[in-house]
Amino acid sequence: MDETDLRLDGNAVAGMLAEVFRFDMTVEWGGCAACGASNQLGALHVYAHGMGAVLCCPGCGQPLLRVARGEGRWWLDLRGLAWLQLDEQARVAD
Amino acid sequence: MGRLSWRLAKVAEVRPETARVVTLALDVPGWDGHLPGQHLDVRLTAEDGYQAERSYSIASAPDGARVELAVERLDDGEVSPYLAGELRQGDQLELRGPVGGYFVWEPSRGGPLLLVAGGSGVVPLMAMLRHRAASGSQVPARLLFSSRSLDEVIFRAELERLEAADDGLTVTHTLTRSQPPGWVGYARRVDVVMLEEVGWRPGERPLAFVCGPTRLVEAVAGHLVALGHDPDRVRTERFGPTGVP
Repeated sequence: MDETDLRLDGNAVAGMLAEVFRFDMTVEWGGCAACGASNQLGALHVYAHGMGAVLCCPGCGQPLLRVARGEGRWWLDLRGLAWLQLDEQARVAD
Repeated sequence: MGRLSWRLAKVAEVRPETARVVTLALDVPGWDGHLPGQHLDVRLTAEDGYQAERSYSIASAPDGARVELAVERLDDGEVSPYLAGELRQGDQLELRGPVGGYFVWEPSRGGPLLLVAGGSGVVPLMAMLRHRAASGSQVPARLLFSSRSLDEVIFRAELERLEAADDGLTVTHTLTRSQPPGWVGYARRVDVVMLEEVGWRPGERPLAFVCGPTRLVEAVAGHLVALGHDPDRVRTERFGPTGVP
């Protein structure tokens, strides 16, 4: 097994992202700061582990979002995203 | 109570599908429905407080009070041996959802549909096919389903029934490891030739949903795009390194 086998889709972390953002992030669009590609987050490549996940651009591999949680805190690193668009229709009820 | 809250579901029924896959029918208080293709998160808590979470695709059509999952037992898994081995009718299970609107199909989204599954990757596609049948949708659909052997074909009898009852649905199997005597179907991994023979032509602009182990999904998605299909109409759900057919 190598890194390829562990790759998932943005779908796989829908629940975790909804906890942070309160939107169904899998249908939201984001832009890659490295290559400029726009993708719905459900289409991103995801590497997940117990602490959190890294979501990468399917085109160039650039990490777009890093999400981790621990000790009662969420940590977000969004440096790889040029922009993020949130559709009011995709808001998730608490 | 919303879909982000963890809640307790009760196991209404445990139904074996194959030697390694069981359907869990769950009664979920306050469940307000789902879309075909969505999944839910299951959380197990050990006595020492250690928690493990996994996502499982919903197999049932969104037309019942119950939610059904189909879970494959992975021998080295942390969660699936419990769900698909020890869980019994009447047990409780902590879950939240449904989540994920990306890998979703409803009749209003049109088609034609090309569904490609590897092993337990058929689960969210089954929710789509069940919903398609239950709603009387006329959207033409083709399922290409890769399994290791005939015994390991999940939902085999139900797929036969659905196909026999519906001119708009074709189901094609490929058996990658062993084939019964007299098998005339495909006997290899899904490849570009198979997709060309079974799938729609790019000009017919199918909506493709591909679900299964990561390597199968990436190979199939790559082939479809190489054949000329619009990447925006090819949706994938990778299951990770689970039971590669």
